[in-house]
Amino acid sequence: MKKILSTLAIAATMTAGAAAADSGYPDRAITLVVPYGPGGASDLAGRALAESAKPFLGQPVTVINKPGAGGMNGARSVVESDADGYTVLLARVGMALTPAVNPQATVDWDAYTFLSALEATPMILAVKGDAPYNTVEELLTAIKDSNGAMSYAASGATAIDGFSTQALLSDAGLDPLTAATLVPYKGGGALATALLGGHVDFLAVSAGSLLPHVESGDMKALMVYAPARMSKLPDVPTAAELDYEQAGQVTGWSALYAPKDLPADVLAKWQDVLGQVATDETWLTLADRRGSISTVGTVDMSAYAQEQYELFNGLAKKFGYLPAE
Amino acid sequence: MLTEILSAFQAVATWQNLLIMTAGIWGGVIVGAIPGMTGTMAVTLALPFTFYMAPVPSILLLVALYKGSTYGGSVSAILIKTPGTASAACTALDGYPLAQQGKAGKALNMALYSSVTGDFISNLSLIFLAAPLAILALRVGPPEYFMLMLFALSTVAGVSGNSLLLGVVSASLGLLLATAGEDLYGSFRFAFTDDMQAGLSVAPVLIGLFALPELIKLIVFRAANRDVAAKLGDQQVTRAEFMGSLKSILRGSGIGVIMGAIPGIGPSAAAFFSYGEAQRSSKNGENFGKGELEGIAASESANNGACGATMIPLLALGVPGDVITGVMLGAFMIQGLTPGPLLFQTNIHEVYMLFIGMLMSSVLLFGAGKMTMRMFSYVSHIPQTLLTPVVLLLCLFGIYSISSSMFDVTILLIMGVVGFLMFLMNIPAAPFLIAFILGPMIEENLRRALAISRGDPMVLLSSPITWIFAVLIVFVVGLTIRREISKSKTRKA
Amino acid sequence: MNFNINRGPLLRGVAIVVFFAFVALVLIPAYVPRPAFIPGFAPPPDMWPRTVSITGIVLGLVVIVGALTGRVAPQDPIDTDGGSSKTHLMRFAAVVLCFAGFIVLVPYIGFLLSTALLTGAAIYLAGERRHWILALAISLLGPVLLISFFSSVLGTQFPMGALTKPFGF
Repeated sequence: MKKILSTLAIAATMTAGAAAADSGYPDRAITLVVPYGPGGASDLAGRALAESAKPFLGQPVTVINKPGAGGMNGARSVVESDADGYTVLLARVGMALTPAVNPQATVDWDAYTFLSALEATPMILAVKGDAPYNTVEELLTAIKDSNGAMSYAASGATAIDGFSTQALLSDAGLDPLTAATLVPYKGGGALATALLGGHVDFLAVSAGSLLPHVESGDMKALMVYAPARMSKLPDVPTAAELDYEQAGQVTGWSALYAPKDLPADVLAKWQDVLGQVATDETWLTLADRRGSISTVGTVDMSAYAQEQYELFNGLAKKFGYLPAE
Repeated sequence: MLTEILSAFQAVATWQNLLIMTAGIWGGVIVGAIPGMTGTMAVTLALPFTFYMAPVPSILLLVALYKGSTYGGSVSAILIKTPGTASAACTALDGYPLAQQGKAGKALNMALYSSVTGDFISNLSLIFLAAPLAILALRVGPPEYFMLMLFALSTVAGVSGNSLLLGVVSASLGLLLATAGEDLYGSFRFAFTDDMQAGLSVAPVLIGLFALPELIKLIVFRAANRDVAAKLGDQQVTRAEFMGSLKSILRGSGIGVIMGAIPGIGPSAAAFFSYGEAQRSSKNGENFGKGELEGIAASESANNGACGATMIPLLALGVPGDVITGVMLGAFMIQGLTPGPLLFQTNIHEVYMLFIGMLMSSVLLFGAGKMTMRMFSYVSHIPQTLLTPVVLLLCLFGIYSISSSMFDVTILLIMGVVGFLMFLMNIPAAPFLIAFILGPMIEENLRRALAISRGDPMVLLSSPITWIFAVLIVFVVGLTIRREISKSKTRKA
Repeated sequence: MNFNINRGPLLRGVAIVVFFAFVALVLIPAYVPRPAFIPGFAPPPDMWPRTVSITGIVLGLVVIVGALTGRVAPQDPIDTDGGSSKTHLMRFAAVVLCFAGFIVLVPYIGFLLSTALLTGAAIYLAGERRHWILALAISLLGPVLLISFFSSVLGTQFPMGALTKPFGF
């Protein structure tokens, strides 16, 4: 009897990785915290993931919006919850950026278990459709001539869409803080409206909220912040192609994080599930329609998060948001 | 064009679509009526279902939920002084006193009639005036927003009760509280704890301030249990009463349409604006806040009037005006449709289907309202000593479920105590709330305007729209102060 | 001498002034940072709270002046059961205690039990004695029904208590 039991035990340990589902996880609904408000790009990504992962997990995934404090509010609630795999976080670039630029941030960039990258969300540098600039070069010349009077919209000075513009200005040899005036708006819709209404001169924000207006001709896309050209905008060059070194590294992304010290069986289950999501029809279609590129399983997330943290930390020191060491 | 409309009608009027819309309206009314559960919640919950539906039915489902919940918010506002959504806050001011007088049915009926009228007018404006309204909406920049919101804040004078002065004090408290949390440049204000970095959400503040003081009052003072038997025939809105409020309903719908069409304003501000206007111009102005049907009419026509109109910037420009239309934009994109000028060229069939569906849902809203009213009316028969604790219970669950946060629940309870203390000091709660909701819009747009003008305050008077509102503000403030002085003279005499 | 001073309104005015002065002089300097990166011409984060609290101080002063000169808005009478102010104060203290107790208890005994206790306490404090079976049913079954409703429809996970976790709630 004893022998049978120990044989079973050995067998169980041997197959633990592959047969993660046998451990019983998950036996109830999983909560996916989206650290931004409903309706935004991150919310859509979260809900798409919840829908796509549900059949592979065998349990529903409940999406909860916990906005506030640059995403730190939601992130903190996940980090502080039990590391049992029933609370996970839809991480965005803000999870690496906020601690890199704001000393008051409550969660460090590496306070998580990195489950996987999810998607890359390109950003677009755009001006109004009837603006006289057709290239980044022309826009930059106008900014230089205006002596700081030209304005751009962003979610905040130290938000990702603020850095997109500031990195470009810095690359062009201008002072990122004073060469153009920042006008803060909240949310992709409000940012797009500000440019459409002519209340600001340009912006460089998430592609999802701008693409429809670029397609209708109300806006002109001058440059994309992405590793490669966007399939929907094949004629628009990337920042890297135009040799803007810092701007070329700025882009948006989503990832899946969990609290630190996640049990091995939970980790194995998620690797398994995400592997299936990576090729899942629903997930890929939904990502395409949002204007983002699925990156599930293609990026070493912890290395990438660190790289991003160091990039923004360096930029923040260079731009004067943080005291240089 | 006519054949297109006919074919669109045929495509919409299937029993599946009607079923989806009816379910949406009913679901919305019920969710809106539960304290703490909001329309935003209903719409975001339904979003994943639309992944598997055809484009038009999925948008119609979301619109139906939005409309239903906006009306549903008035049900709990009237019956238990717990506005399900912020846009029903003014409805509670007159609806709850009416319910206490045993006229809950009358108040609910008035809320329904004005909601449906506002909704219908709003849909018509969406269909016929979308393009010009959208162009107007785009011209509204930070200086115009600032002036408009400052004018809406003048509603405070109308909801201050006995003392304008204390009303303004209350509004200042609200403005101050609204500044807590992350500001628009990203710095944290009044972040005493980590939770405070995110600031205070509207729902716990709203419900804590309105609903909980009723419970504390009952516990502390134990006023004789009111057992007003509903008088027969007093549950219907008479023709004369409806006609008497018609002006406010029509004006409220108009205000709702215009405010709804401007991105970023939404139904709450529209309802406050309309309530303030009705109170100023009505011959029953003095009775507002004490159970005036016209107050309900003004507030409800405007918030439902704004509902359909928030679709104007969404459909005509492709920009969402508030959180709910933001979710709808997501739904459109998931469906592979892109709202905006191109939609009217490439998908005119779907656009017509949407319009027809929205008109149909006005009718469905009327039916659902009438049918649920019976069910809800029983609430007013429950003894207060049991009802208010149940309201507390519902609020605890509702508020927790919004973002799974015990911090929100703590805020709810603290605001309940604060609301009770304000009641003791004779400081009215409604101005606090209005200021709390409008405050961030006022401040953010002021700071944006000054950033764009590089610090020149004249930017606030840089366009005709701002002039008009500046004149209106001066006029209304002058009028209010004059009225107050004459009131205090008669008091002293 | 004419004692036309109404003590209530005067105290109220003083309370308003003290509150806003505290915010303007203590809280804003300590808790509203002025980041260096906001360009000089754009209004800093403390502009608006400062404006509002100064307005509040002025309004409070007007209330004080009003109280001293006898210009006080009439207050609607409060319906009570005729108990003394001391009874009322005790009851109010009981409410605050219950609310605070609820927040303290949730981490230990979970959301379900805490809401049941708070509801029961609220019904008892409200003076309900006649329908005690109904009261008991509401405070016990109400939370159970609501938890099952919210967790099945919304998937909300309510906090479990450290002490009650082994029992699953």
